[in-house]
Amino acid sequence: MAETSDTSTPGSFDVELLLKQARTFLAFGEEIRQCSEQLQETAQGSTDGGSALRQHFERFRSAVTAAAGDPGVNPELAQLWTLILDAWQRTIESMGASAVTPPADWSSAAWQAYQRTQGQYLSLLQRTASEALDLMEQRLGENAASGKSIDSLRELYNLWVDCNEVTYGRMLRSAEYSELSGRLLNAFLRCYVPGEVSS
Amino acid sequence: MIGLTPDRITEELESFRERLAHGTQTLAQAGEIEAGVSPRDPVYQEDKLVLYRYRPRVAEPHPVPLLIVYALVNRPYMMDLQEDRSMIRGLLDAGLDVYLIDWGYPDADDRALTLTDYIQRYIGHCVDHLRDRQRVDAIHLLGVCQGGALSLCFTALHPEKIRNLVTMVTPVDFHTPDNLLTHLIRHVDVDLLVDTFGNPPGQLLNFAFLSLSPFRLAGQKYVEVMDILDDARALKNFLRMEKWIFDSPDQAGEAFRQFAKDFFQRNKLVKGEVVIGDRRVDLRDVTMPVLNVYASQDHLVPPASSRALAACCGSPDYSELSFRGGHIGIYVSGRAQREIPPAIAAWLLAR
Repeated sequence: MAETSDTSTPGSFDVELLLKQARTFLAFGEEIRQCSEQLQETAQGSTDGGSALRQHFERFRSAVTAAAGDPGVNPELAQLWTLILDAWQRTIESMGASAVTPPADWSSAAWQAYQRTQGQYLSLLQRTASEALDLMEQRLGENAASGKSIDSLRELYNLWVDCNEVTYGRMLRSAEYSELSGRLLNAFLRCYVPGEVSS
Repeated sequence: MIGLTPDRITEELESFRERLAHGTQTLAQAGEIEAGVSPRDPVYQEDKLVLYRYRPRVAEPHPVPLLIVYALVNRPYMMDLQEDRSMIRGLLDAGLDVYLIDWGYPDADDRALTLTDYIQRYIGHCVDHLRDRQRVDAIHLLGVCQGGALSLCFTALHPEKIRNLVTMVTPVDFHTPDNLLTHLIRHVDVDLLVDTFGNPPGQLLNFAFLSLSPFRLAGQKYVEVMDILDDARALKNFLRMEKWIFDSPDQAGEAFRQFAKDFFQRNKLVKGEVVIGDRRVDLRDVTMPVLNVYASQDHLVPPASSRALAACCGSPDYSELSFRGGHIGIYVSGRAQREIPPAIAAWLLAR
């Protein structure tokens, strides 16, 4: 009898992936809404729209940066820039390793080396995220100068994604990233306990 | 900001929330997602490998069989994803007799499998099976992505068994400047990776692919899906693609070790230094007609990596087919369905 469909069953769609990004979009929207409210108030009493825009972009930047510094402050907003680290942690958890707590029998020197490398990786991502905010501000300024309007939240979100892809892509292609991401995986492997693979 | 009022944003957020609430119910009711649409029959099995024959769609298919060798890193149903996106269906419609190797899912029993096993034993046995079955001296071979690199090795070692070779989005020169996967693996201690896991987990490879464009692939994509949650057909298509993306088999350890070190890190294929078993792979021995199909916007296998084949293979009848699109689009986009299978079939049938 002929077969048609692939019989593999890799598990159903992980709705949590979608929900997490939906919550992030909502947090992004909420932050922008607050900026927009203040911009509207300021703009009513001022003729310098460019200055008001810069001022309120700074507010948005501060909110994202604060969430980045302490994801506990606004975890959904923090997700805006910790996507890759989050994906890395989900990956190693899916392989049977804890992302945050060292098991008792892990070599502490190896664990510390891994934590150190992960910290460096995080710093690199932070730098890139900050550059993305600079780029976004620049593009918004260019739009304002040319009279081009952004009329929906989704458009603004897409601009934010584009800016992050640009600065992340630049980082990804750097020798520094190649070396550091390799070192991160090697450091992880040195403190991984064989036999804990879940698959 | 510009042109965006607080009221407009509030309205958009409300609408998004409503779609989210409704959409999660739709997702829960989506049911089983199947991929692979063309009827097929298993004709040969060895270990976890299954060789399938797709049921012809013409009364008298071409007498020389076409064997598709897919990559080890993903599942081959990408070639036959759904009714209107099936490279295999296009090849069948053009009158070809199509076979495909399904490598299965390697487990702990397979960690010692080497590239020699995959190339000389598995591909070799499938090729011989088809030669016997169809009573022909040589068959057509179509290697896809990593499967193209494996096919090049096999063909260089056994040129008399391959009548025509088609390579599709196949890396040949792994050290072109824009090769991001090589860039990512350059500093990875491959021995440590294989010795730690035995079989490198599929999730790790998934992470590597995701890390090439995380804001689009892990973020924006899931926000955009909110727009199609009330379109059952579009949603199924999305879920089918998600199933494929996350359906990454673990990699047989020793084969991965050699592929990662010799192909990615040391670029031995293009240098003629790959050794399979006790034989060196020299691409100048690929002397039959070759059609090299690449995607001009491929971010995984850059065109320059594929096109390097022109300079190092020994075929006097070498052609290239450029598809305007990316590494995935070349299998599943509507334009790919119209352009790629007919072009491959026409090229094969003329030889």
